[in-house]
Amino acid sequence: MTPAFRTVNEGWLFQQLRWRQLRNTTSIVFGSSRIRLISIALCSLLVAGFVGGVSWAGFRELEQRQIFFAGAIIGLLFDFLFLSLGVMLFFSTGIIVYSSLFHSPETAFLLSTPARADHVFAYKFQTAIAFSSWAFVLLGLPILVAYGVVYAVSWHFFVLLPLFLLGFVLLPAAGGSVASLLIVNFVPQRRKQVLVGAGLLVFAASVWWGYHVVRSSGELMTGNRSALEDLFGWLKFARNPYMPGHWMTRGLQMSASGELGAAAMPLALIWSNGLFAYLLATAVARRLYRRGFNRIATGSSLRRRYGGAWFDRCLGGLLWCLDRQTTLLIIKDVRTFRRDPAQWAQLLIFLSLGLVYIANSRQFFTQEIGQSFAQGVSLMNLCATAMLICAFMGRFVFPMMSLEGRRFWILGLLPMRRERLLWGKFYFAAAGAIIVAEGLVLAGDIVLGVGATALGLHVVTVAMLALGLSGLSVGLGATMPNFRETDPSKIAVGFGGTLNLIAGLLYLLLIIALMAAPYHVLIMLKMNPMLDVGHVAMVSAGVAAGLLVGLAAVVIPLRMGIRTLREMEF
Amino acid sequence: MIELHHVCKRYGTKTAVEDLTLNIAAGELFAFLGPNGAGKTTTIKMMCGLLFPTSGTVRVGGFDMARQGDAARQLISYLPDVPYLYDKLTGREFLQFIADMYGLNGDTSRRKIDEVTTMFELADFVDDLTERYSHGMRQRTVFASALLHEPQVLIVDEPTVGLDPASVRKLKNILIDQTKKGTTVFLSTHSLDIVQELASRIGIIHQGRLIGCGSLESLRKQAALQGSLEEVFLKLTEEAAAEGNA
Repeated sequence: MTPAFRTVNEGWLFQQLRWRQLRNTTSIVFGSSRIRLISIALCSLLVAGFVGGVSWAGFRELEQRQIFFAGAIIGLLFDFLFLSLGVMLFFSTGIIVYSSLFHSPETAFLLSTPARADHVFAYKFQTAIAFSSWAFVLLGLPILVAYGVVYAVSWHFFVLLPLFLLGFVLLPAAGGSVASLLIVNFVPQRRKQVLVGAGLLVFAASVWWGYHVVRSSGELMTGNRSALEDLFGWLKFARNPYMPGHWMTRGLQMSASGELGAAAMPLALIWSNGLFAYLLATAVARRLYRRGFNRIATGSSLRRRYGGAWFDRCLGGLLWCLDRQTTLLIIKDVRTFRRDPAQWAQLLIFLSLGLVYIANSRQFFTQEIGQSFAQGVSLMNLCATAMLICAFMGRFVFPMMSLEGRRFWILGLLPMRRERLLWGKFYFAAAGAIIVAEGLVLAGDIVLGVGATALGLHVVTVAMLALGLSGLSVGLGATMPNFRETDPSKIAVGFGGTLNLIAGLLYLLLIIALMAAPYHVLIMLKMNPMLDVGHVAMVSAGVAAGLLVGLAAVVIPLRMGIRTLREMEF
Repeated sequence: MIELHHVCKRYGTKTAVEDLTLNIAAGELFAFLGPNGAGKTTTIKMMCGLLFPTSGTVRVGGFDMARQGDAARQLISYLPDVPYLYDKLTGREFLQFIADMYGLNGDTSRRKIDEVTTMFELADFVDDLTERYSHGMRQRTVFASALLHEPQVLIVDEPTVGLDPASVRKLKNILIDQTKKGTTVFLSTHSLDIVQELASRIGIIHQGRLIGCGSLESLRKQAALQGSLEEVFLKLTEEAAAEGNA
């Protein structure tokens, strides 16, 4: 008997699929991973609270100083904020849509069913928006709420805010998705080069533009009126009436002042253009998605040659002091990392941002800065660098052991002691972290002109941070591996990854509190770069205690990891 | 039911499938054999509309896959060598999703889900999340989903990997039943004993070219060998390799 068929509403079907998966995941998370859920919520609250707090202080400063043109400056800041967030959303959604449409087993499965290409695209587009706008909400919302609180704006502002934010996400996300579909269809073999080229171009333009904006902002603090005109000039692009970011600024300012009718126009502009862009993207997908899927699968040769043997030889030479097996394991890890653009691209972006921050930190101040202030800023730089290493360790090093996954039996059967595997990963992580973190902190300290003692203390503190965080991430990564998962970002946000992140944060707070903070606090209190004998003894005791804690952070997790590895069955 | 007409497929400079012409009738169980990298999976992906031929045409149920793919896919069920399941759905929810995707109405979908659950003995785990399934359980669930809408064309890539002997026997019986019902089965596998037992016709592909096609008897004649399918397969592929090197 032939089964009875009905017309399929694919949109509804995909919503139902999403809802079922969400329901099942939520019940699992609430049932078994409450710590993970609480950690994620707390971390999100911490980030949102920090951003909100800093914004609140900034807006309050503007309000209390009663700066002339304060409203225009805030408008300028909003234009800049929405332009930056728009560019970030364009790239992040484009990349997520690209990987979920062309490199996911789910879409390969869906394309072999009667599901229409535009419906599959719409389903993945909505998921990508949810992922990419998470950071947008986490960063954008606290800033805007802080503005609303400080200026005691009309309640309309708070009601309309989510509508403005939701509508704004659509436009850059649709733009990024169309760009990824076009790249895959028309330059399938050079898609990575196009992406890297576009990224570098945007980065270079942002650095150049950001440099001038920051310089003008710095001069603005001295009360120079022409600096304000300069700043407006540099931000003219963001203030263009055709820029969606400017619609957001206008709409939010109107709703803040309670002018509902005037706020409706920008809101309508944002939503109508966003929905139109979404429709346009689905129309492009209807024509180009399957074609692109075919082109990306067949655009290049089946076999791909990978070079870089000279790099591995150089690395092998540099690691002459290690035994042969450990060297080979490190080279394997470096090779795997090098051949995964998703991994090193993230590292590169964060490092570049760190360097830009360090290079520009002095540009804010046109006059000579006090020693006490320099000490405070250098301690803040040290904390920022420590947080950066902690995040890198959680994201890149903790998942390394789990990523051996189903291949673990290869390593497990090798004629070597299993702990070598851990030591190899530890050396790899620690060496990378020491080079990067020492570079960032030294550059910041030199720019700020802190004394030799602070510089020396920072070098030792950063070394202990790098070693301890490497030990924690490698050791805990081996103690709590997740061999079922192949995506490192998912391993990093799992239970083990979250625990590692919390342990790392506690460790870095402890090390900074013991090794660096006492010196800076004493200097700031005394307003004198010279310490007396009692204070020197106090700082030295802190450093010694820090060294002991660092040693424990290396030895204990690695021993736990080694024990787990020895007992591991595969 | 399945027609490939002078199909070529290139990956960059490498030719994966070269001038392939095949006609497979309704109710036929056609086995597609070839060494690793011969072009079997590429051919299958073109038959499902996941890839498009560089030249030539692929038609399924009379529909051109390049222009009427959505209509053709309504007739097809494709079981890849690595089946996909949503980890956060139960087996039953997955079966329901597939039934809905192919437009089975409420009563029919419930009846069919019960039927395939019994047929593939899924009852013990069908309400568990699929992330907890073993490879064999996943294979059986995916196979069950493939038969829900009673496809006219069943395309199967390496179906026996990870199945226990009893499940393999059941699978063979199901394939035989499907062909009796008029379903066209396109089977790609390295298990030559299954092919020898089930296939009405066998195609052998080597380096993208079809080097033999017909019944086991006709392939034996072509190889000038009265042996098993394994011996015939090895002889034909070795000859083709030698010819290619010459």
